[in-house]
Amino acid sequence: MRDRHLKYLFVLPALIVVASTAIWPLLQSFYLSFREWKLNRARESKALWDFEYDGWENITYLFDNYLQAVQDDLMWNAVQVTSIFTVASVILSVGMALGLALLLAPGGKFRLTVRTMLILPFAMSPALIGVSWRFMFQPDFGLFKAFFDVLFPPLADVDWLGDPILAMIALVGSDVWHFTPFLTLVFIGGLATVPKDAQEAATIDGATSWMVFRDVTLPSILPVLAVGIVLKSIFSLKMFDQVYMLTNGGPAYATQTLAHYIYFNGFKYYDMGYASAVSYMLVIPMFGLTWVYMKLVFLKR
Amino acid sequence: MKLENISKSWGNVTAVKNISLTIQDQEFLVLLGPSGCGKTTTMRMIAGLEEPSKGNIFIGEKRVNDELPKDRDVAMVFQNYGLYPHMSVYENIRYPLKVRKVPKSLHENLVRKTAQKVELEDMLNRRPRELSGGQRQRVALARAIVRAPTVFLMDEPLSNLDAKLRVNMRAELKHLQHELKITTIYVTHDQIEAMTLADRVAVMDHGIISQLDSPEKIYNDPANLFVAGFIGSPSMNLVKGELKEGIFKHSNFSVKVGLKECSEATLGVRPEDLELTNPENAVCSGRVYSFELTGESTLVTIQFEEDRLTVRGHNKYRVKIDEIVGVNIFPEKCYIFETETQQRLRR
Amino acid sequence: MLSRPARKQINDFLQFFLILSAAVFIMIPIYWIISGAFKQQVDIFQLKLLFTPTLENFKIIFKSPYNLLDKLYNSTVVAFSTVVVAIPLATIAAYSFSRFRLTGERIMFVMILSTQFVPAVVIVLPFFILFRDLGILDTKLSLVLVNLSLIMPFAIWMIKGFIDGIPLDTEEAALVDGSNRIQVIKNVVLPMALPGVITAAIFCFILAWNEFLFAVIITTNKAVTMPVGLSMFHAEEGVLWHLISAAGIMIMLPMFVLATLIQKHFVQGMTMGAVR
Repeated sequence: MRDRHLKYLFVLPALIVVASTAIWPLLQSFYLSFREWKLNRARESKALWDFEYDGWENITYLFDNYLQAVQDDLMWNAVQVTSIFTVASVILSVGMALGLALLLAPGGKFRLTVRTMLILPFAMSPALIGVSWRFMFQPDFGLFKAFFDVLFPPLADVDWLGDPILAMIALVGSDVWHFTPFLTLVFIGGLATVPKDAQEAATIDGATSWMVFRDVTLPSILPVLAVGIVLKSIFSLKMFDQVYMLTNGGPAYATQTLAHYIYFNGFKYYDMGYASAVSYMLVIPMFGLTWVYMKLVFLKR
Repeated sequence: MKLENISKSWGNVTAVKNISLTIQDQEFLVLLGPSGCGKTTTMRMIAGLEEPSKGNIFIGEKRVNDELPKDRDVAMVFQNYGLYPHMSVYENIRYPLKVRKVPKSLHENLVRKTAQKVELEDMLNRRPRELSGGQRQRVALARAIVRAPTVFLMDEPLSNLDAKLRVNMRAELKHLQHELKITTIYVTHDQIEAMTLADRVAVMDHGIISQLDSPEKIYNDPANLFVAGFIGSPSMNLVKGELKEGIFKHSNFSVKVGLKECSEATLGVRPEDLELTNPENAVCSGRVYSFELTGESTLVTIQFEEDRLTVRGHNKYRVKIDEIVGVNIFPEKCYIFETETQQRLRR
Repeated sequence: MLSRPARKQINDFLQFFLILSAAVFIMIPIYWIISGAFKQQVDIFQLKLLFTPTLENFKIIFKSPYNLLDKLYNSTVVAFSTVVVAIPLATIAAYSFSRFRLTGERIMFVMILSTQFVPAVVIVLPFFILFRDLGILDTKLSLVLVNLSLIMPFAIWMIKGFIDGIPLDTEEAALVDGSNRIQVIKNVVLPMALPGVITAAIFCFILAWNEFLFAVIITTNKAVTMPVGLSMFHAEEGVLWHLISAAGIMIMLPMFVLATLIQKHFVQGMTMGAVR
């Protein structure tokens, strides 16, 4: 068979899988966001296609879910929580990853050993990370209690997960712990592509280490940095597992991210139409980020 | 500048072994040698990019071992130019002035004058990726000269250029150095560059200086087999034999050289110092193995049992492969080396 | 001003200290789980630093009512099946994307990556309804199907990255010598791409093994995987930290072993498209 036909045949099975496991659900969900779909109806997928025709005059009922979402305080709370979480986690993890990458980039046994450890947090189930951090923040016998007992007694009796702000800090902390090492690995790869000649030339021209970084290294890794920021933002917006295990959205919805809010509505209250609608509202900023990511990556081609 | 007993090793590998060298003010010194001989490492130690494992480096009267590159007032041109990819040509040339806090008002003038010297005035707004190899090299050069440093260091600056451009740039470099009167250390593996540019040449081999002399003496008075075989294109013919009673004996021929005894000796003679003639009148004769017409001469390689000699003949000389030709060897043009120690035996 | 050697020493020390701190920070949550797993419940309550280790916790979690062994089995089967389906399909697709121009390839890319950029819940909702209908909710099969939505794009993306990095020369030489495209893939490309494919396979296995959201929605009883199993250690009196830590080790350590195996090639695959 000629290449001409073969190349489509090769991608066909994969595309079928993607179409059925990804595209179909996405389209279904989109359709679902316009329907009223609660627990009882969730039992019958066939009913999805019964369209109760209410006349074109009242077409606005299609958008009921969306209207409800916009008026829902808890929804806006989730938006705020997600925004704060995303901004904080992206800035912290990208910043620390860059610093760590600079520290670990040179060779040597010590640095290489630490580098092998960098993959571990990424290999740990986010659900387990939530559990671990919850354990560490346990007010009676967690690690942090022991830590503060020794170093900073005033803080020792604080129930971190019971306080809205501290719980958020703990959540951000767990996420930063999860992703910083991974981003560090990516940035180390990026630093390797910086032209060494130009760095040495700058040193000879008279630049200090800081100037070399600012004028030569940083411009060279800007693309990698950008990809890192976009990728991490997308991961942050989607984050679910840690919230569920660490705080389950509490205390009093202080850490309920949009992903968690959607889950709650879809599978605790079984209001699936509504959950879909909120999901698709989140899709808009994510789509924006995706577009930026595509631009950055495909620019290289 | 002075290098005193400089050595550099990494673990078990020693790149530079105990080198000592004094460089005169305004001298153009070339470090010449094949890859791996330690010439680039030596230069990097002078620049401050590597620290010597042993020994001292002096610039002027000052010991600079502990000085950072930026404090040694040297400028360097890299083999791959090392240009700043995100800055324009103007910014690239200006950078040394900027980081050394030269007053801003002087920048423009200095940059433009330097750009003129390397004929880049029209390119100042371009980025490095838009430039050809030769243009990039000139930017690197301009960046090095803009601040009039004490020492120029050049690491194989011409090796990435095509042949024709290389010849042109050689002349440019020589002129520039003469005009600027700055002490220059130049690293290359190309012996023609060394011969044409240098006041003195340090031929390096496996971390040591094999011979340090003017280009003339390196060519006409090689101190050992390494230098003799490395310099000259095509390279010097080297054949092994025996030296007895002042006569060098080879399986095919004998030459009266008037030197003392040596059981294992090597005779060296340059292709342009041999003469092609007909087999009957010649000192020795052999079969033509191959020949090359270079335009300005004809190079004929002749097989003598186990050895081959290359002779540079007149450009109108024509011959066929497997033809028998004769070669004349003139004793006064021959160099004799002791094979084991590789040292030259002098009269 | 300090001399150069002295400043260098301080600099070196500072760097060493920072790197060491980072290393410690990375290991602490991991260590916390590991130590919790070997502690008796009593020791946990008393926050003891020195304790006599015990293997009791592991014995308990494998017996009823926890039956972690079942969950371990489920996790393994689901992750394995997902990878077995995804990797071969992804490999040939990745080859095609890498070596050929296809009409509409941009749209195909958008389609393939679409699941990475939406909240995961969106995918599960319709599946939940469908599976409920078909009665296959709470089965490993349904979990594998949903996992594929997440894993397939990663697999294609990573393997394409690796294949992009393989020079064309050997393939073209084989084609000129007379092989057809399929033979070229089998005899030339696959051997060279093997490290990359294995890296992608292991990475996807780790993703599927650690996956939580889909599992917690789709499974309730029979097909429960280990991460979901973590929630069963919540008792009336509180969380059974010693048991949950032991379960945590079962989830964590095998993945650490796998991750260390692939860590060399890992970054290459993830960022092939971006870092050039």
